[in-house]
Amino acid sequence: MKRLRIVALPLVVLLLVASDLGGQLPGDQMATQSLRAYWHVFIAYAIAIVMVLGWVVSIARRLARIEAQLGQ
Amino acid sequence: MTGKGIRSTGTALALLGLVGMLLVYWLSFFWVSTDRLQGVSQRIFYIHVPAAWTCFLAFGIAALTSGMYLWLRDERLDRAAVCAAEGGMVFGTIMLTTGPLWGAIAWNTYWNWEPRLILTLLLWFIFLGYFMVRGSTENPEKGKRFAAVVAIVGALDIPLIHLSVIWFPQFLHPQPVVVKPEGPTLDGDMLTVLLTSLAVFTTLFFGLFLLRYALETLRAEVRARERAATA
Amino acid sequence: MSAYLGQIYAIVWKDLLLELRTRERVVAMGAFAVLSAVLFNYSIDRTAVRPQDIGAGLIWMTIVFGGLLGVGRTFHLESEDGAFRGVLMSPVPKDAIFLGKTLSNFVLLYVVSLLIVAVFMLFFGMEIGTSPAVLGLVLALGTLGFVALGTLFAAVSSGTRMGETLLPILLFPVLLPMIVAGAGATERLLAGRPVSEVVGNIRMLAAFVLMAVAAGAVLFRFVVED
Repeated sequence: MKRLRIVALPLVVLLLVASDLGGQLPGDQMATQSLRAYWHVFIAYAIAIVMVLGWVVSIARRLARIEAQLGQ
Repeated sequence: MTGKGIRSTGTALALLGLVGMLLVYWLSFFWVSTDRLQGVSQRIFYIHVPAAWTCFLAFGIAALTSGMYLWLRDERLDRAAVCAAEGGMVFGTIMLTTGPLWGAIAWNTYWNWEPRLILTLLLWFIFLGYFMVRGSTENPEKGKRFAAVVAIVGALDIPLIHLSVIWFPQFLHPQPVVVKPEGPTLDGDMLTVLLTSLAVFTTLFFGLFLLRYALETLRAEVRARERAATA
Repeated sequence: MSAYLGQIYAIVWKDLLLELRTRERVVAMGAFAVLSAVLFNYSIDRTAVRPQDIGAGLIWMTIVFGGLLGVGRTFHLESEDGAFRGVLMSPVPKDAIFLGKTLSNFVLLYVVSLLIVAVFMLFFGMEIGTSPAVLGLVLALGTLGFVALGTLFAAVSSGTRMGETLLPILLFPVLLPMIVAGAGATERLLAGRPVSEVVGNIRMLAAFVLMAVAAGAVLFRFVVED
């Protein structure tokens, strides 16, 4: 609990500073910043599904191949 | 479980996991509320945290079954180890790529020497070594033993790596990383999505793990037949 | 117990005698250390960085790379003429073979690491600090942990097609605790900080050594079995 507070305190300060800085950013910059965040979210979600589906497909293909081999 | 049972259970769990994945994507895109402090980038956590959990679970299973393989010499344990390790690599890669994508927004830098990031990176490389050792031995039995040794040393070293990266002076500085969608401060709907996602990733992993295990069993069968044919 | 120690001693003595006669590995590692220091000197722009500031890190990286050269060849000579088969078939327990190999590697690498430190002091005008004995201890623990895992993984990699190229891939990820604790302690000691500041580092190194030696002694038999 104590450790948590030690970590959390500077964190809150940092976040306050960061949000303050964010408030001072000119409008243009704010807009690109938030679009960039959307972009990253989409890439991250795309990577996750591609990796998972990639594994699914690779298992399926290997299974099909080995079954063909066993069928012979 | 019989071979057929493993396969059908695996298929069922994997399908359930894939459908669940669609649900998680829908929930985190259209349903959950946006984090007030971090904005949309916080949504990356709904896949990052479950991927991390699944990765550690998978590598844990791989190390445990490796150790038991050296002890009991049951082929099935080695098969389980290699299948879990493969899953660990897949989910580890997800974790290692989605993490920096979030960091680029939150910390304004893709790479940060954040302890957990380094720990996962090293784990990823330890298991890269695991697969390289396995793949480069003439005698597959030898490869299995070698790979198990690599996994066990990695597992024993992980606590020390963890302690040293945390302890490395640079990290005494406050870091914004602790903002994680965990703990009591998390809003109800965010917690719901995160828990759903955790359950989905775990289900998906076990489903694909079982299918991969069925594959490995068939491979062993093919090898046994080849041996019988040449003998 | 004394028989066991005698067996370890026999292996250590055999390896060191071999090294005394051929001087292959020590000369290779020593030359590597000196030449690295020369190249390092020209890789640093002294108008931007003082070599003393990054000296400790360079020392440890040189130990790691030089050590890699040495441990990678642990089983080379013996496996070439099939002599290792003889060692394995002897009634000596496998963990005694491992401990013997580790100790002989340790003696070689420790000598080389002291040489590396001396060369860096000489080349870069670095100060030894106020407690050379503690620095010696830190180097001893670091190199011992390194050779323990190095010997185990050298046995693994020499059994694969890839051979020594595989060794750094297996070894580097697990060396992190040694580098963090070892280089950190060296940096502080060279800067003349009090010994009390490196007690944590020494504990970490000791834990690393314990893990490495125990893991190697237990797992080695699975690597060399036929």
